[in-house]
Amino acid sequence: MREVIRLGIILLIISAVAAAVLAYTNEITKEPIEQQVLQANIEARKSILEDASEFEEISHDQFENYTGVSEVYRGIKNGETVGFTIKTNPEGYGGPIEVTVGIRIDGTISGISIGNHSETPGLGAKISEESFKNQYVGKNTAQELSVIKSGTPKDNEIQAISGATITSDAVTAGVNTAVKLFNEKLNK
Amino acid sequence: MSIGSLLILLVSSILVNNFVLSRFLGICPFLGVSKQVETAMGMGMAVTFVMTLASIITYFIQIFILDALGLAYLQTIAFILVIAALVQFIEMVIQKMSPTLYQALGIYLPLITTNCAVLGVTLLNIQYNYNLIETIVNAVGAAIGFSLAIVLFAGIREKLEISDIPKPFQGFPIALITASLMSIAFLGFTGLV
Amino acid sequence: MNLGKPFIRGIIHENPTFVQLLGMCPTLAVTTSAINGIGMGLATTAVLFGSNVAISILKKAIPNKIRIPAYVVVIATFVTVVGLMMKAFVPALDQALGLFIPLIVVNCIILARAEAFAAKNSVLESAADGIGMGLGFTIALTILGSIRELLGAGSIFGKLVFGEAYQPALIMILPPGAFLTLALLLALLNQIRTKKAN
Repeated sequence: MREVIRLGIILLIISAVAAAVLAYTNEITKEPIEQQVLQANIEARKSILEDASEFEEISHDQFENYTGVSEVYRGIKNGETVGFTIKTNPEGYGGPIEVTVGIRIDGTISGISIGNHSETPGLGAKISEESFKNQYVGKNTAQELSVIKSGTPKDNEIQAISGATITSDAVTAGVNTAVKLFNEKLNK
Repeated sequence: MSIGSLLILLVSSILVNNFVLSRFLGICPFLGVSKQVETAMGMGMAVTFVMTLASIITYFIQIFILDALGLAYLQTIAFILVIAALVQFIEMVIQKMSPTLYQALGIYLPLITTNCAVLGVTLLNIQYNYNLIETIVNAVGAAIGFSLAIVLFAGIREKLEISDIPKPFQGFPIALITASLMSIAFLGFTGLV
Repeated sequence: MNLGKPFIRGIIHENPTFVQLLGMCPTLAVTTSAINGIGMGLATTAVLFGSNVAISILKKAIPNKIRIPAYVVVIATFVTVVGLMMKAFVPALDQALGLFIPLIVVNCIILARAEAFAAKNSVLESAADGIGMGLGFTIALTILGSIRELLGAGSIFGKLVFGEAYQPALIMILPPGAFLTLALLLALLNQIRTKKAN
């Protein structure tokens, strides 16, 4: 019995030291990590809604019925609302994809940005490339977007990345959710 | 969460995002314990058991301890200790309760602690914000996917034993080429969900 | 005391990937590009170095019966430290490697070196062994990553090598390509070894 207690105490001491080391590391790295996330988010918002000079977060209860929407910001310039950025998390091929959509107050999409995702490199991961993201720019929020695999895309259509239809569908679904939220709630 | 979407989650974790062949989790036992179909099945069963239990326990630990106390940075260390303790505990219980089952699974149990598929599934459940039911479905699906891959692989390797293989390819290289071909086959499931 | 020996051994004669065939999960999973290979390799090296040194220092204090859980705690601590550091200072790499950072804990190389080397040797030798093994792993991952990136995306370290006209063999950066590349490399090594022996 005494042996068990002795072993337990040694293990406990090791674990306690480990926890202390980790708490310390966490303390040091907390700030930089938060900064990184903050910075990445600010840059993402700026890049997709260039008209705005500042952003103001909209409270969660405004959009709690919209599944996948995690953050909404109002873009402001000279005290006037110029548009919104809406972060959605549609389910892709390898897990959720962070899609942030910028919508101007006149109802056109000003840009999208892709955050964290675990799509296949070389296939689904191409959603981060400009040539794919730019397809969304200028689309009107009056109609839902859909994905086509081949042919010339019409006004409300997005050309899928070849070999990555699921991922392209997912991003488009995220954009559509954002558009729906914009039409039903924000643009009032 | 409807039954339909749970079913999709299950199918996708078994076939589309197969743990071994598309996520590369659990490669060590996949290559190490796959010389015979029988041992592969034993390993598959043991993994299924541990994965499901570990997922449930770590789910509660994450919510009630790590999240509640703001200790997210202890996640890795907490989860690996849970898995190690769980494996030890299961080993003792099975040994007492069912000596036959212990004989069948016993030798695989200690190997599971360092099976990255188990730690992997518990971390993924948290990362994807799954609720308890989704967590269980995902764990069971991942475990079935692992078992399916390892048993199929063992079946092919048994046949390889009696094949004439060029000398440099004998052993590991041919096993990896087999895995590569299986992985191509599993890529075919991509459009399924 | 010769520190060169444990150091070189990890890189060549007992290369963890090509000779000991340990740590296969990260080897196959993250080598979709050369830079990912290096990143994963260096992260693992840092953990190996830390855990080898710590375990070598603590070897007298840890009773034999609880050595495995004790080692696991030590390794998990270093993994978390490395993970937090990467999140804070190289977020892009952290995102690319994702889940496989915490999974360094269950990389068999680390526990194997703790058990087989650090628990029996001096601190300095263990440090040399950790760095040697880590660099061996890094080199292997970089080679794999370079080959797969070259064939699968036509680039190396993100720089296009074959020009725009090259149609990349996508399969190489998909899962089957990982198994295939490692299989062919191992077969090549086998061939060289038999040639040398004759």
